[in-house]
Amino acid sequence: MTKTILKAAFGLLVLASLLILPKYVESPYALHMMILLFLSVSQGQSWNILGGYAGQHSVGHAAYFGVGAYATMMLMHTKQIAPWYGVWAGIVIVVVVALAIGSICFRLRGPYFVLASIAVAEILRLSAINLTTLTNGAEGILATELPVFKIGETVITDFLTKVPFYYIGLFLALLTIGVTYWVQHSKLGYYFQAIREDQDAAHSLGIHISVYKNIGLVISAILTSLAGSFYGIYVGFVDPPTVLGLDVSVQIMLICIIGGMGTLWGPVLGSLILVPLSEALRSNMITEGLVKVGLVGADTRVGLFLKENLSHAHVLLYGVLVVLVILFMPDGLMGFVKKLATRRKQEAV
Amino acid sequence: MAVFLQSLISGILIGGVYALIGIGLTLIFGVMRVINFAHGDILMVGMYLTYIIFTMMGVDPFVSVLITFPLMFLFGGFLQKVFINRILNAVAQNQILLTIGLGLIMSNTVMLIFTSDYKILTTSYSSATLQVGGGVSVSTPLLISFLITAAITAALYWFLLKTDTGQAIRATAQDRDAAQLMGINVKRMSIIAFGLGAALAGTAGALISPTYYIFPQVGGVFTLKAFVITVLGGMGSVVGATLGGVLIGITESMSAVYISSGWKDVVVFVLFLLVLLFKPSGLMGKSRT
Repeated sequence: MTKTILKAAFGLLVLASLLILPKYVESPYALHMMILLFLSVSQGQSWNILGGYAGQHSVGHAAYFGVGAYATMMLMHTKQIAPWYGVWAGIVIVVVVALAIGSICFRLRGPYFVLASIAVAEILRLSAINLTTLTNGAEGILATELPVFKIGETVITDFLTKVPFYYIGLFLALLTIGVTYWVQHSKLGYYFQAIREDQDAAHSLGIHISVYKNIGLVISAILTSLAGSFYGIYVGFVDPPTVLGLDVSVQIMLICIIGGMGTLWGPVLGSLILVPLSEALRSNMITEGLVKVGLVGADTRVGLFLKENLSHAHVLLYGVLVVLVILFMPDGLMGFVKKLATRRKQEAV
Repeated sequence: MAVFLQSLISGILIGGVYALIGIGLTLIFGVMRVINFAHGDILMVGMYLTYIIFTMMGVDPFVSVLITFPLMFLFGGFLQKVFINRILNAVAQNQILLTIGLGLIMSNTVMLIFTSDYKILTTSYSSATLQVGGGVSVSTPLLISFLITAAITAALYWFLLKTDTGQAIRATAQDRDAAQLMGINVKRMSIIAFGLGAALAGTAGALISPTYYIFPQVGGVFTLKAFVITVLGGMGSVVGATLGGVLIGITESMSAVYISSGWKDVVVFVLFLLVLLFKPSGLMGKSRT
């Protein structure tokens, strides 16, 4: 009992400090990092609902991310429709796309489903490159000027600092965590898990498999598309490889796999590891650190080589992490921690 | 008519190389039931190997197949022994993820060493063509690579059908447990199968290197193509992969001519989805498990 209260108190404390953080932290870089973290949490959590709970490991989530990002950006760029309206268009399109994909891919199981999900995302990516009149092709869409957000006549924000994006990101992350919590504790979540554990058994118990798979997909797709729209307006630029590429799908999955899929806090944990690590590599922090400690001379060949190349190496790190996690902790970090905890409990008894 | 013949012929020629890639993937899947998502990246490693051998020692890319093939075989065997072997009994998605991870490591390591610049391997015959008559011409490097592909495929069929090891590999693919009970060293067969798969992909990489841009991310496209080919032919079927490769080659070159080169990959993926939907066991597959 006390444990639950402690947990709740800790949660509230974290939430409160996240809410007031922009008041005390002005560094745009720190806010940027937090925004990336929120984005990663919402991406991972959206995938988690379908992949983690319902066990449908889509490697094509870039499709929904990209559709959300493109819909919002295209409407803003060509029709001057504000993104907070464009988001809804994105959601409508994404639901249509998701149901189309679901009706094709959910007839397939296991590896065939994975392959089909990749193929669909690739078709969308290639279409975005080829439909130049609609999407501006490989050049992408650049739209950095956001309209001022007003309610009535009061200006809420003009989007000139990172603070509004921080709160949108926070809201998105909390929303996805909330939806996952709800799924986990509702009948829907039990259906999902039944399907994940044994599809045939679930079917024989009267669970309408394709209906529930599609429900999971639609929820997951809508949340992913929200993350995509947010990414689009935050970065101000979308092009086919950055929002629709296979890398995007893999990165979305990785967040869950490293943290632990099918758990509420897995994607959060995964993001807490992945985002700082890849940022540290990207911004050359690691090389500078090595130089400072004196392990590598700044002007030696190794130092220069690291400085030049390590910033491109964050994807290499993803690869190494995946291999290590799959080989040594196939249930992700959350699973690993749980296993350690039960072992300790057993030893105590 | 000339245009039709032209695209048919170049489709068949490039299809030969695709068949090689597909056979490698299908062999690995057949023996281990693991879908190798690093297949295209292994091909990319083969391309770079050929590039190094060409620029450092001046060995012609087609001759260097003699070096690439055994080296890539060892590389594949190493991957199987160190990584894949540990996850043979894991759930399918973990197998897929592991190979995706391995692929990422390969492409990004290569990127660290060679940067992501496009490299071109120019030989004296890179853009040479052979007039066949009737206004139809054939690219010389494609023709040579097709002939080598055909020879390798023939040798592979002979190996799988006639040699003891080949039969043991096929037995393992048919029923792993039964093969083991019959005294076949299943683990060794797996290493050989993955080695062969990697060697075939690497060889395909060597063969296309005179006509293709070489860059670290080139693998992704080929991984996807390899899947399309093997699913089309039937997962695990070598004959199916051969047919599938040629079919995809023709489809690509036809749709590049009659639709547009930007949409040719879309046509291939749509075809792929249609096969998955209506005949998931593929052209030559018996049943799906």
